[in-house]
Amino acid sequence: MSSVDLIGVRKTFGSSVALESLDLSIASGELVCLLGPSGCGKTTALRILAGFEYADSGRVLVEGADITGTPPQKRGFGMVFQDYSLFPNMTARQNVEFGLSVRRVGAAARRETSERLLEVTRLTEHADKYPHQMSGGQKQRVALARALATEPRVLLLDEPLSALDAKVRDSLRVEIRRIQQETGVTTLFVTHDQHEAMAVADRVGVMQFGKLVQIDPPQRLYSQPATPFVAQFVGTVNTVPARRVDGGWQVLGAPATVAAMDGADLPAATDVVIRPEQLQLSPTGAGTPGTISTISFLGALTRIAVQTSGTEGAGSVELLADVLASQAVGLAAGDRVTVSVRPDAGPVVATSSDS
Amino acid sequence: MSRARHRSGSFLGSLFRWVFLIALLLYFVVPQLAMIRFSFQAIPMALLGKDNLFDKWSLDSLTTAMARPEFLAAAKISVLIAILTTLLLLVLLIPVAVIVEIRAPKLKPWVTAATLLPWVVPPIALVVGVASTFRTLFPAFLASNLSMVPFYALWSLPFTYRALDAGLRAINAKTLFEAGINLGASPATVVRKVLLPNLSAAVIASAGLTISMVLGEFAFASLLLKQTLPVYLANMQTTDGRGGMALALVVMALTALVLHLVVRLLQRRGVEFTAAGV
Repeated sequence: MSSVDLIGVRKTFGSSVALESLDLSIASGELVCLLGPSGCGKTTALRILAGFEYADSGRVLVEGADITGTPPQKRGFGMVFQDYSLFPNMTARQNVEFGLSVRRVGAAARRETSERLLEVTRLTEHADKYPHQMSGGQKQRVALARALATEPRVLLLDEPLSALDAKVRDSLRVEIRRIQQETGVTTLFVTHDQHEAMAVADRVGVMQFGKLVQIDPPQRLYSQPATPFVAQFVGTVNTVPARRVDGGWQVLGAPATVAAMDGADLPAATDVVIRPEQLQLSPTGAGTPGTISTISFLGALTRIAVQTSGTEGAGSVELLADVLASQAVGLAAGDRVTVSVRPDAGPVVATSSDS
Repeated sequence: MSRARHRSGSFLGSLFRWVFLIALLLYFVVPQLAMIRFSFQAIPMALLGKDNLFDKWSLDSLTTAMARPEFLAAAKISVLIAILTTLLLLVLLIPVAVIVEIRAPKLKPWVTAATLLPWVVPPIALVVGVASTFRTLFPAFLASNLSMVPFYALWSLPFTYRALDAGLRAINAKTLFEAGINLGASPATVVRKVLLPNLSAAVIASAGLTISMVLGEFAFASLLLKQTLPVYLANMQTTDGRGGMALALVVMALTALVLHLVVRLLQRRGVEFTAAGV
């Protein structure tokens, strides 16, 4: 287990800046996800850590030792690629043993390690199959076992689930987390899928335009986004105006608690972001009136879209509210309802401040 | 109404396709059938007709031609040149193709263009240029039959490089290389244990194409006065037309067999032709 530090890492490709002074610390045994849209620099950060790209400036430290110029084969890392990258001429077992054989580990020890890892990844019965004889999920499990076989100091996962179908993706996501916790290997996981990131990571770092915008545990990232971009990228939000009235805040025509994203002072009027589960619907009362436009059943929750008659300071907007499925019984498109922030929803987050 | 028009249109399209295919088949097959009759029927050409279609068939012309020591010498030269050309090309091109794919993708358009150059320069210009240079510097070079090897290697470059390049892309060589390196292997080990075994389809395809080309090439050898198999066959037409034609048919069949074996080998390995660059 090793800690990892990227300090002031900058990387450009021609005139395009892929990473702009990235500072990232991963504690020993921690799983950190880098999350962001395509082109945000997350894969470049991972490739610099792997040694496949070299930073224009900045340093990469593992356990405090500078490995910025160390070639990838000397870093002792394991990596799982998006497209599996299994060696097609080798069986699952031979793939898993490859890293050990180049380290001249004896046949018996290699066999013992591969058997153990194939069992951990539930691949024992597929050990002698070639990659073209396996499904996508099985291939990615072999890739994971192969990466873990050399007992890497750091495990790097480059969008490992994005080539898989939804069901396999969900189960493998759980397995990756289980195996990571069992082995305790320090892990950097890169993905553009917010659900994946939130489900597996100890901390999630959101990247935008080559910068790390926020890095926090999933719950904090969701409830206290540092920027409007983070709020919108991580989950669904409604953006509505809020104004200060008599020392309190009015949101959607009713009192609500408003918090600043960065803890700074707030102006008298601002936009706030509200998660769908922070809204409630009622037939009458304080709030913003509107008409139900669509109702979508999501399982335990039901998502209801309400076209408002006009919120304070804005025209008609569509608000999304998630309510318990039992509370949505009897509601239908065209019904008139009032939308407000639930009293127990906690603060809604302002997108602007005085600072 | 529109359905009827659609049906008649599709019928015309289908008819056109069949007419075209049959015409194409006749274009290729009829001359070869004529060659077969001319070579293996011991009847003067002027007397060949439909009445004697099944008369006097014999392999004498072929066996006589094959028994000539000049034929065996020419065949040996061609086979040796084909093998050496293939080896030279693979030894030169595999490292270049791998380096360009993995380390220097920006060079790819330049290398691709450079490998096409041999087809831009006409054989006569190439031969005259190289011959005049070497006659001055190394007169012994052009005296040897093996002097054909660099010419053929150059001439086969476009096929071979493309087959290797397509093979490298098909196996996603860059990521495989990175995966191997990441597991602690040296670049040489990754190339030897991972890339080369997975490139075998492309290597077989390149070798098959090169061998087929060398066994059929006439212009270079003729201009450099080498008695390779195609040159020998062409010369033989003037002295023993029937035997020459019979040998030409055998060489054509052998070349087709080589290509067929390449295809079968690739199919057995489960390789798509596009992946092998064919």
